[in-house]
Amino acid sequence: MNSLVRAGFSFAKNAVVSTSIRSISITRQLNLKELRERTEGSTLVVEGVTVPSPRTNLLVRAEDLAGFEPSEGTAEKPCYMCSLGLDVKHTDVLILSQFVRSDGCMLPRRITGLCKRQQKKIGKLVTMAQKAGLMINLTPANCQKDPKKRRLYKKFNTYFDEKTIFMWRIPKPTDRFKR
Amino acid sequence: MSAVKRVQQWATFARTWHVFDCKWQDPYESAGVIKKYLMGLHKPIYHPMNDCGDVVVCINSREIALRGNDWRQRAYFHHTGYPGGATWTLAWELHSKDPTMIIKKAVYRALKGNLQRRHTMERLLIYPGETIPDDIKQNITNQIRQIRLVPTRLDHIPEEEVQKYPKVMEYPEDYVLK
Ligand SMILES: [Zn+2]
Repeated sequence: MNSLVRAGFSFAKNAVVSTSIRSISITRQLNLKELRERTEGSTLVVEGVTVPSPRTNLLVRAEDLAGFEPSEGTAEKPCYMCSLGLDVKHTDVLILSQFVRSDGCMLPRRITGLCKRQQKKIGKLVTMAQKAGLMINLTPANCQKDPKKRRLYKKFNTYFDEKTIFMWRIPKPTDRFKR
Repeated sequence: MSAVKRVQQWATFARTWHVFDCKWQDPYESAGVIKKYLMGLHKPIYHPMNDCGDVVVCINSREIALRGNDWRQRAYFHHTGYPGGATWTLAWELHSKDPTMIIKKAVYRALKGNLQRRHTMERLLIYPGETIPDDIKQNITNQIRQIRLVPTRLDHIPEEEVQKYPKVMEYPEDYVLK
């Protein structure tokens, strides 16, 4: 239903704004791009430069690791974070910083390619890390870049408990007696 | 009593001075540990009637970390005794006024409320910063292990190391870098 609505919407849009249609292309037009702005005299030139992804060589996938066993029988393939099975904490800023933009905003799910549960979990972990001031260099430009300069209660150190992310999923101690 | 036995006797009953770094530590979790050393519960010779408690010096009490919303949700109650003399101070207000008070109250609460409590608290020394007076520093012989790991900020990690760290997420092909 959702895709039907989207298809209908895009068809209507293409019918109205026919100039934006790009139906045929010989080369691959879409690639990882970087927007560069420069001024030539009095004109501002904004160009999209195709760049190779800096992450391709460092990428870790569960399929490439030794001792990987693909799950059998299930049609649903787990996403890459589920199959890696990492226990990510909100203090693991080296992992969490891969999921954010340069202004510290969490990337949407169509870009991260996570499943819904992992997207929610990583998003909350990013929020925790930002509130704790651990990714202070990945903040909007008007930020003072120092957690101690925040106002009121925000200037003191705060840590978070990762169990609170999916609080309603935590089994009670009596649940082990259930079938 | 031989010379060796005499020294063993002194060493057993001497007060040890411990230092505890409160940086990024939860005061209510660390109070349980500090209490153990203050009362001497970690010693095999412990007995309530036996004065075997140690001295604990807490440093960096300004850098303590509270969990979640605690800075703005935890309130400290005080009553002057006069009508209308009740006050509720939030944790962050109390900490801005006196950065040693939260850890002091946490340890005071962790101790059992008996006549010994005030005397045990006399052996707890708290400093908001890293500096300790020299006459106290020269007694310290032991350090208490921290409970929580001190987190590292991303901007304190060298840029090169961040670049070289194994990556999990790959950008889609049509992504515009921002
Ligand atoms: Zn998943």
